[in-house]
Amino acid sequence: MNKISFMLNGEKVSLYVEPNDLLLDVLRDKLGDKSPKYGCGRGDCGTCTVLLNGKSVRSCLILAVEVDGQEIMTLEGLSKNGLTDLQKYFIKHSSFQCGFCAPGMIVSLEEFLKKNPKPDEEEVKEAISGNLCRCTGYVPIIRAVMDYVKNRGG
Amino acid sequence: MEELKFVGKEIQRIDEKEKITGAARYVDDINFGPDLLYAEIVESPHPHALIKKIDTSEAEKVEGVVKVVTGKDFPYKFGLYMKDRYIFAQDRVRFIGEQVAAVVARDPKIAQKAAKLVKVEYEPLPTVFDPLEAIKEGAPIIHPELGQYSHVPWFFPKGGSNIAHHRKVRRGDIEKGFKEADYVFEDTYKIPRFAHCCMETHISVGYYDLSGRLTLYNSSQSPHVQKSLIADALSALGISEKDVRVITPYVGGGFGGKAGVTMEVIAAALAVACKGHPVKVRWRRDQEFYNTYMRQQVISKLKVGVKKDGTITAFQIENFWDAGPYVEYGANVVNASGLSATGPYRIPNIKIDSYCIYTNLPAAGPYRGFGYSEMLFSVESHMTRVAKAIGMDPVEFRRKNAIREGDPLAYGAPMNPNGLLESIDKVSEEIEWGKKEESKDPNKAIGKGFAIFWKAPAMPPNVSTTAFLKFSGDGSVNILVSGMEIGQGYLTAMAQIAAEILTIPVEKIRVELPDTDRNPYHWQTVASHVTWASGNAVKRAAIEAREKIFDVVSRAYYFNKDSLYLENGKVKCKTKPDFELDLKDFVINGIMKEDGYYVGQNIVASGQFFVEFASALQDPETSQGGHPNVHYTVGAAAIKLEVDKQTGKIRILKVVEAIDCGKAINPVNVKDQMIGGLLQGLATALYEDMRFDKNGKILNPNFTDYKIPTSLDIPEEVVPIIVEVPQPDGPYGARGMAEHPMIPAAPMVADAVEDAVGVRIKALPVTAEKIALALAKGEKEPDYYWHIMK
Amino acid sequence: MAIAHLFEYYKPKNLDELVELLFRYKSKARILSGGTDLIVRIKDGFEFPEVVIDIKGIKELSELKFDGKNLFIGATVTFNEIIENDIVKEKYPLLWESAKSVASMGIRNRATLAGNICSAVPSLDSGPSLLIYEAEVILRSKEGERKVNMNEFFLGPRKTVLKEDEFVYGVNVPLPNKKNGSSYVKLGRYNGEDLAQVGLGILVLEGNEYRIAHCAVGPVAARARKIEKLLNGKPLSDSLIEDAKKLIEEEISPITDVRATKEYRIHMAKVMLERGLKAAVDRMNGKGTPYGEKLI
Repeated sequence: MNKISFMLNGEKVSLYVEPNDLLLDVLRDKLGDKSPKYGCGRGDCGTCTVLLNGKSVRSCLILAVEVDGQEIMTLEGLSKNGLTDLQKYFIKHSSFQCGFCAPGMIVSLEEFLKKNPKPDEEEVKEAISGNLCRCTGYVPIIRAVMDYVKNRGG
Repeated sequence: MEELKFVGKEIQRIDEKEKITGAARYVDDINFGPDLLYAEIVESPHPHALIKKIDTSEAEKVEGVVKVVTGKDFPYKFGLYMKDRYIFAQDRVRFIGEQVAAVVARDPKIAQKAAKLVKVEYEPLPTVFDPLEAIKEGAPIIHPELGQYSHVPWFFPKGGSNIAHHRKVRRGDIEKGFKEADYVFEDTYKIPRFAHCCMETHISVGYYDLSGRLTLYNSSQSPHVQKSLIADALSALGISEKDVRVITPYVGGGFGGKAGVTMEVIAAALAVACKGHPVKVRWRRDQEFYNTYMRQQVISKLKVGVKKDGTITAFQIENFWDAGPYVEYGANVVNASGLSATGPYRIPNIKIDSYCIYTNLPAAGPYRGFGYSEMLFSVESHMTRVAKAIGMDPVEFRRKNAIREGDPLAYGAPMNPNGLLESIDKVSEEIEWGKKEESKDPNKAIGKGFAIFWKAPAMPPNVSTTAFLKFSGDGSVNILVSGMEIGQGYLTAMAQIAAEILTIPVEKIRVELPDTDRNPYHWQTVASHVTWASGNAVKRAAIEAREKIFDVVSRAYYFNKDSLYLENGKVKCKTKPDFELDLKDFVINGIMKEDGYYVGQNIVASGQFFVEFASALQDPETSQGGHPNVHYTVGAAAIKLEVDKQTGKIRILKVVEAIDCGKAINPVNVKDQMIGGLLQGLATALYEDMRFDKNGKILNPNFTDYKIPTSLDIPEEVVPIIVEVPQPDGPYGARGMAEHPMIPAAPMVADAVEDAVGVRIKALPVTAEKIALALAKGEKEPDYYWHIMK
Repeated sequence: MAIAHLFEYYKPKNLDELVELLFRYKSKARILSGGTDLIVRIKDGFEFPEVVIDIKGIKELSELKFDGKNLFIGATVTFNEIIENDIVKEKYPLLWESAKSVASMGIRNRATLAGNICSAVPSLDSGPSLLIYEAEVILRSKEGERKVNMNEFFLGPRKTVLKEDEFVYGVNVPLPNKKNGSSYVKLGRYNGEDLAQVGLGILVLEGNEYRIAHCAVGPVAARARKIEKLLNGKPLSDSLIEDAKKLIEEEISPITDVRATKEYRIHMAKVMLERGLKAAVDRMNGKGTPYGEKLI
């Protein structure tokens, strides 16, 4: 067992993990952070996406021991102080259907929209192309992001 | 008609907030406590073999292993329409990946390690993977006991063969029809298997408590069917339906893949074997491909006779469905699509043979479209080719032959009111049908394709559904139903229907996900019928609640009940304009009269919808008689695409689709079903490409090599069009539409590719590779089919 | 799914520790950086390391620096760091374009170029550009440092010249000394992320010098020397392109698998060669399709 400590959604957590424990499983089963989901286990689908030091990564391909001393943010962390403006636009546009891809999708967009506050539609598509959604055909998601981008201040 | 305030409005989804905050709980998100056990399945490496011996002793020795279960522990069959499947393989395995044993342990890592130590001895048997080979004389028989299997009365298995069901439809005189024809066109089309690819894989957590109560938490479209089938499968152990409880929280996608029972029965059995512990079975992504359902492969042989003026005189089709080794659900896909194999055309002389065939590929079954997505590829591809061959515009040909209200269906019953012609007109106008467009790039060509479609809910003739509705003291409402929110917007639609009757905003209504203990019966969320059926039940429950409300108010104030009405959540009286009473003031606590006594009741209500006008009893030789389908939803769609003549790559410039949903309860959700369903269909048309090796092992059970569309693969423009010809027995005229969007995708793509570059692809998918190779070699009708690789 | 196979995890703080660990564990150890390949391989049961050595704590390995003549890409530099680097975009557009074609944002935030070449899969997107820029791989071990030309690095599918106690320190990419234009043309099954079914890198230098390399159409990524020889010294013309396309079948040895047939790979390699050559020449002349835009 290895002891690790890291910032999870702004709070410091410390725990013991096995070297072969995956970050996804530790977040879900040991820390109760359920928004990252198992979708494929190979990094193909993006449902397990979390922010590692502000960058979107696949928590199914990261060992928990690797994040010792790092910062992790999940959708729970993004939502805990009320809805973000982007989330409000997702509600407005009824963007998600089954909702399983939503946490990963929103986390990816969080990184992307920080880096690129005024993207065009093609850039948005590129940014979420690693987050698979089987229900929506992506259009309602892109619709919300573009509406948000158009209306956001500054 | 009174103006509607909630139904037909673009109301935001009531479940969206939970989903975009991460609050929505799916099965794997529920905490089951420290006594949770994990299962790992031991699977067959053989496509067909006898099990000679299973040695579990080494696995049992591993520290942390609680139980190793094999077929001998659960020699029980299950199945929705035909009982041909065991919980664990008994003496024989029939596909690669079939469950042979399971290891249950305290830790998933231990379960994985121990599962590798289970030793199984097999004796390989001859195999068959091609449905046409499987029905030949001398083919290996996959179910020697087929003749003894129990099944629904509308199936006709042929014992001693691999034909699990044969649906025959005969109408008119087919020979006469071909004689009357000026031209007869024949061809064969091949539609491979596809996978649903829900983002959430199947998962089931079973808990058999020390008193013998079995609770299952399932990712499912079918909580009540699962309750009943699992209780039935385990009935020998004394388990009765009342002791089985299925809880279905949010589901990460269904598309038919989570209908009926598949791996949930394994979790149930393992829970029983490990009494007192919850046991989790979660499919890996690769298992999701090979051990739930896939879509069936079908080889479709079609022969159509037409007159010079374009009138169809005869239609003959043989559909050979490769259903895999277990057809307990898939056989009904074959049945339902057999009954409707003509597509939405009026045809006097019909001969349909729909064969459900056992093979040693993995089990196949329902997938969005339920047979129609599959077989309408051949029908619609063929209709376009027939029209072009007689020099008729393919849209005009469809307009001429489109089925109309009252026309006899292939089995004799009349066609329901429908907006097929309106859909054809609107789609052809929007796609500018007939206007030939040139690409600016000399390497590219633009083509258009057009398809019409229909689909009826495929259900037993006596399906039913009930809704409970109850008020809280603040006037808000909880509705309990057992339809499943699988992303289609069901909860929101039900809230809108109740809101319309009760005149309260949807924000004051919660619609609860199923728990078979608490929520009333609903058959299952399949067949695109829940808006229609459950919507009727919810509407009736709301009306019953309203009656009770009026009853209380009329008794308290001595009003005539008929003079009362609801407006903005208040009871009003036609004869007393100044009277109004807010629902919150009495729905729980009643109304105090002047003398201090109360009049009242807790306002709770139920509504039910039971189909009493359908019958599956038909002549087995002709399918005439009976009324197997409650109604059809119809539509039309068209595509404009650009093909790169060198690479074969396709850019989708525009897609238009019109569906007659009777009444769009929520137009934005209806349109979004079209947008999402079209992309799912286009993917099966263009690049989803399942491959098996020569032993029937799937080669690409992952998203690395089974490519489902990304945001970069969406059409440049999608135009969804709502058509509303009311369904007389639907809530506010609504009928289902959620499966339908993907149905026309494949044929219209094939048509448009031919229109653009003159290559007719008759086997899905229509990949860039096939187009480019055909163009490079000058082949007009290439025959590339790589489903099973040599 | 969980990883059942147990291993020890080390995270050396400096190069010396890393060298020692590798010397001690040799083939029992696997180096972990982005993990996008290694973790999948462990899950799939293709790798059973006793020790996993995470090299992300070593500062030198994270460097991405340009000294005017040479670009150094440290072992832990991710594809997104490469894409977001202005010097790479300006001076090494072929590398930039091929890095951009790798997977998706969330993978590129983790996956490294060094990891890509160490995996040595036939379809590796970074292969053609590194071969064309004539990069050298810097390898280190207890015995010291050696440099291997990219053209000698790959030995076969998933096989490289790396010895069991060696690690990739970084890659040096020399700056081409002439005005140039380039293109990375990648065949995937759709627009979304895909592994290359054919990958073709092309660099055209002023004075009609051509460098061409491919991936996914042979056991290793490799230069197309015969085609280069044919083209070198000649201005690009339609007839020259036709002659070059005729040599494709001598240069590549693709297989049929679930991703594509051999036949289609050959056909597409020819189409891609034509489009890639034209795009590279156009780009050298400051016109044509911008870098990063798909050519097929």
